[in-house]
Amino acid sequence: MNRTVEKRTVDMEIIGGWVEPNTRVLDLGCGKGTLLDFLVQTKKVSGVGVDLDFAKISACIRRGLPAYQGDMIAFMRAFPEKHFDRVICSRTVQELSDPTGVILEALRVGRALTVGFVNHGFWKNRINMLVRGRKIRNAVYTTEWFESRPANPVTIADFEHFCALKGIRIARRAHLAGNWHDPCPGLPNLLAGYALYDLAR
Amino acid sequence: MTDDVEISSAPAEAPPRYRASGDVGLVTPRDFTYRNEFRFQSGQILPEFTLRYETYGALNATRDNAILICHALSGDHHCAGWHSPDDRKPGWWNNLIGPGKAVDTRRFYVICANVLGGCQGSTGPLSINPQTGRPYGILFPFVTIPDMVRAQKHLLEHLGVSELHGVIGGSMGGMQALQLAIEYPRFVRRVLAMATTGRESAQAIAFNEVGRQAIMQDPAWNRGDYARESGPRVGLAIARMMAHITYVSDASMDRKFGRRKKENANTSAYTFDVQFEVEGYLRHQGQSFINRFDANSYLYITRALDQFDLTQAYGSIERAFAGVESETLVVGFTSDWLFPPEQNRDLALALLRAGKRASYAELDTDLGHDSFLLESEDLYGLVRGFLEREQPYEFDYSI
Repeated sequence: MNRTVEKRTVDMEIIGGWVEPNTRVLDLGCGKGTLLDFLVQTKKVSGVGVDLDFAKISACIRRGLPAYQGDMIAFMRAFPEKHFDRVICSRTVQELSDPTGVILEALRVGRALTVGFVNHGFWKNRINMLVRGRKIRNAVYTTEWFESRPANPVTIADFEHFCALKGIRIARRAHLAGNWHDPCPGLPNLLAGYALYDLAR
Repeated sequence: MTDDVEISSAPAEAPPRYRASGDVGLVTPRDFTYRNEFRFQSGQILPEFTLRYETYGALNATRDNAILICHALSGDHHCAGWHSPDDRKPGWWNNLIGPGKAVDTRRFYVICANVLGGCQGSTGPLSINPQTGRPYGILFPFVTIPDMVRAQKHLLEHLGVSELHGVIGGSMGGMQALQLAIEYPRFVRRVLAMATTGRESAQAIAFNEVGRQAIMQDPAWNRGDYARESGPRVGLAIARMMAHITYVSDASMDRKFGRRKKENANTSAYTFDVQFEVEGYLRHQGQSFINRFDANSYLYITRALDQFDLTQAYGSIERAFAGVESETLVVGFTSDWLFPPEQNRDLALALLRAGKRASYAELDTDLGHDSFLLESEDLYGLVRGFLEREQPYEFDYSI
């Protein structure tokens, strides 16, 4: 039997810790469904993913995950308030053309919103820009700028500023060090490579 | 559905097409007669009815590997394989169904029946009315999508199917697939509906009405009372020509014909004879259709399409789907202007709102409504992936 094995990552693990078992989850920018499948297998959630890309939707369907190809704001507008227990926006928020619109809509259709993103304020990312003068590359930013969708270089400070501005309550936060593995010791905007937020209205 | 599925001719030394690997080969249609009274949604009754059908593959011991294929307005039960070695074309979905294909007949028992009210061997307006000894014509009971589905359920029971692995259909076939999952929730595990809608739109009804008027305004229609070999041939051909345009797209027609002139066309522009290739093509479509389709069936089936409105039938679309237990995949095609992507998306969204497992995928094609018949690896992969779930992916828990 040809088995596909995928690596569980620390941010998946943290999100898994925040997700209540047997709840209804919406994954915005679900990609090929790795996170959603992890949550289905470990938390027995009933989930649906949204993505723009046909190949990614096809991959989700192949592994038995409900998935919807299309625009995420248009998708969410089709649902009543609090239809989902949790909306997840993992490694997606930087690519949104209307982040405010998506986040506010996600907080309408979901009781909670989990956001995970690469911290561009991390010192190595700052130095990378300062010294090398080049776009950062890592597991989230895998491609050259000319092969990438436009992306906002969001930082932890920027994100928390946004939440304060919009009156969004930060229920939980997790900051990971530069290896995206160990907890960040402090000064997250400078020392955290990866950030996770659990938001509520 | 259009008639122009193109088959590339095989080289002389190759085995005959019907024996090609991946092909179900020669098939023979069969008839199932339900010998009890059948009450239509309208309240009208037939003492019995017959469905002509084909099957490919074999039913397994647990009798749960069956896949029902539902055809569109002008389709029939012959969806794969060949009736004779001399056939010009195989069944209409031969590219999708066969050993090793997206709907794998080595694994699944595939069934397709001509709908009730049809004219390809199933009971319809062409059948003989025992009370008059003549074809029913427009005395045939009005047919609805639920009627078609209920009739097919009798066939599936007759074939010993305990549970459907899946039901697949495009266009009107998609409506039947949805209806089957609504009416027999525990009987259907997967629904794959393509290029379809939960509610026939005003535009689609309008096109159907033009087709019906073309038929009914033809004096040979004679209020539906005509002999099998005569009938409103002009009206039916015009209905088909018009409908054909709605199955394709501006871009695909332009690519196929452009403004090319017929070779032997009159060089003068000032004539109403056929000048453009597209005119000749449509006339050919109309002519070939009248040799295989019955005008009254066309009236009945287009009416069944018009009546299809899940929102109206159940109070709301969510209520229509409330009892559904199957998993659903809806597929839309960007250039489909008969049942546009939006109407397909709405089905998946409504199912999700009703708390069901549903997916929506969209293929970027320029072939219009008939895109569901497309030869596309993307579509095949999607269909296969939906029907044949992979083993659960394993996670490496070492962090």
